[in-house]
Amino acid sequence: MIELAAVKKRFGRHVVLGGIDLEIPTGACLGIIGPAASGKSVLLKVMSGLLRPDTGTVKIDGADLTSRSEEGLAPVRARIGFLFQNYALFDFMTVGENVAFPLTRRGGVPADEITARVAARLRAVGLGGNEAKLPSELSGGMKKRVGIARATIALPEIVIYDEPTAGLDPVTTSKVYDLLRADQQSTGATVIAVSSDVDALCRFVDTVAFLYQGVIRYQGPAATLADAPDPVVRQFVRGELEGPLEG
Amino acid sequence: MPPTPTTTPRPGLVARAAAAAADRVEAVGQVAVDAVRAAVELWGVFVSTIAGIYRGGRPRGEIVRQLHAIGNRSLLFITVTLGFIGMVMIYQACMQFMRVTGDLSQIGLQFLPLIVSDFGPTLTAMMLATRVGAGIAAEIGSMKVTEQVDALRMSGVLPVDYLIVPRFVASIVMTVVLSTLGGAVMYLAGGLTAHYQFGVNTELFFDPELLRPAHLILGLTKAVAYGAAIPIVSGFCGLRAQGSSEGVGTATTAAVIGSSFAVLLLDLILSVIAFVLFGEQLR
Repeated sequence: MIELAAVKKRFGRHVVLGGIDLEIPTGACLGIIGPAASGKSVLLKVMSGLLRPDTGTVKIDGADLTSRSEEGLAPVRARIGFLFQNYALFDFMTVGENVAFPLTRRGGVPADEITARVAARLRAVGLGGNEAKLPSELSGGMKKRVGIARATIALPEIVIYDEPTAGLDPVTTSKVYDLLRADQQSTGATVIAVSSDVDALCRFVDTVAFLYQGVIRYQGPAATLADAPDPVVRQFVRGELEGPLEG
Repeated sequence: MPPTPTTTPRPGLVARAAAAAADRVEAVGQVAVDAVRAAVELWGVFVSTIAGIYRGGRPRGEIVRQLHAIGNRSLLFITVTLGFIGMVMIYQACMQFMRVTGDLSQIGLQFLPLIVSDFGPTLTAMMLATRVGAGIAAEIGSMKVTEQVDALRMSGVLPVDYLIVPRFVASIVMTVVLSTLGGAVMYLAGGLTAHYQFGVNTELFFDPELLRPAHLILGLTKAVAYGAAIPIVSGFCGLRAQGSSEGVGTATTAAVIGSSFAVLLLDLILSVIAFVLFGEQLR
């Protein structure tokens, strides 16, 4: 269970999160949507302990992330897989080394098993045989898929995807979401995904949270998102030009 | 009856001046708070780096790679620059001595202790602050803005252990080695200049009579301190990089300025301490 209570975060005078209360049950599949620069990525980083909130608490299975040191966060983070918006592949490592990194750092997994798991994961994301390439040799979409492979190879209990399909064509987007869904069903992991592609995201997740001006304006089933009572949510989901949505 | 129009009264001149002054004071206060916060964070990076040496967690073979990157790749740069500086310094010193006393017999005797205790390590470190400091800040800064540092953290890696500790160890070792080499080249280049340009006897110039153990201790201490300071300051600047390539540029500039300043500050502090401890032995 991930619990956020009264989480606030500001950068300088700009309030990004203005009091977030959120509970994500174990095994849930939550999508977070909202206009550009509404703080979705900041919220994900706060959830994973990469950013410390100014006030409020973030708990994962009762463990308070906000009171832990960087060293103390390591065991919590070991349970989380994170796909970054800009891939964040290590540019001094090959694709294979990137994907293997969470396993090699954790230790305890034999080298030949790591090699086999890397090959299998890369095949699953459609990049089999690319182990020796450097990230600079890949396209944006390929980097994204390598990032997915790295985020999921250690079979984490919580997987956070920041824009998993940005820059991908519709067919690849469907393939990626099929893969993420299959992973989630086989591992039972808690999944939190942020995406600007609302339609595709809603087909993947069970519940959706809409973040706007630092607060969550909607949290409920993905299926009924378009009929949300809040006109801001409806305008965003329907992509209407006229309405109360600012900016 | 029509409604009476209402307008918000414009603040008076005094009120506006007071507001502007308050903004200015707040801005100055914010700069001071940021500076103190940066100093505390820099100290935190230093402490964490020392702890990181014992924690382990650095990639295998990384120290050797950094020894090569910091040492071998700076070899030509340090040799050439310190050689030229040695030539220019001796040329200028000889010109001044010729003008005042005409006696050049003390040039080499006085030059060696200066090189060993100060010029060798300090000038080498100043050169390394530009080449190595900029490199470290650019490398770590670009990793920071592309979220690679966050990816390390998500894999349970402490960025200080992984990125700064190997550079810290390698920089200390290589600053000592390069200071020794740079000082030797400086001394040799100065001696050759004195001999061929001013006819100074080489045996007289290269006489180490005035060199004391205190000079060696001070020079070695400075080299170690500079070697430690450069990667700490540069790594700290890199880890604070924000935004995109502009942020990396800012971090790189800050690293060069900060590292150079740290070298000069340490030079002053260590020289004063050495003067107190060794006194006459350094004259």
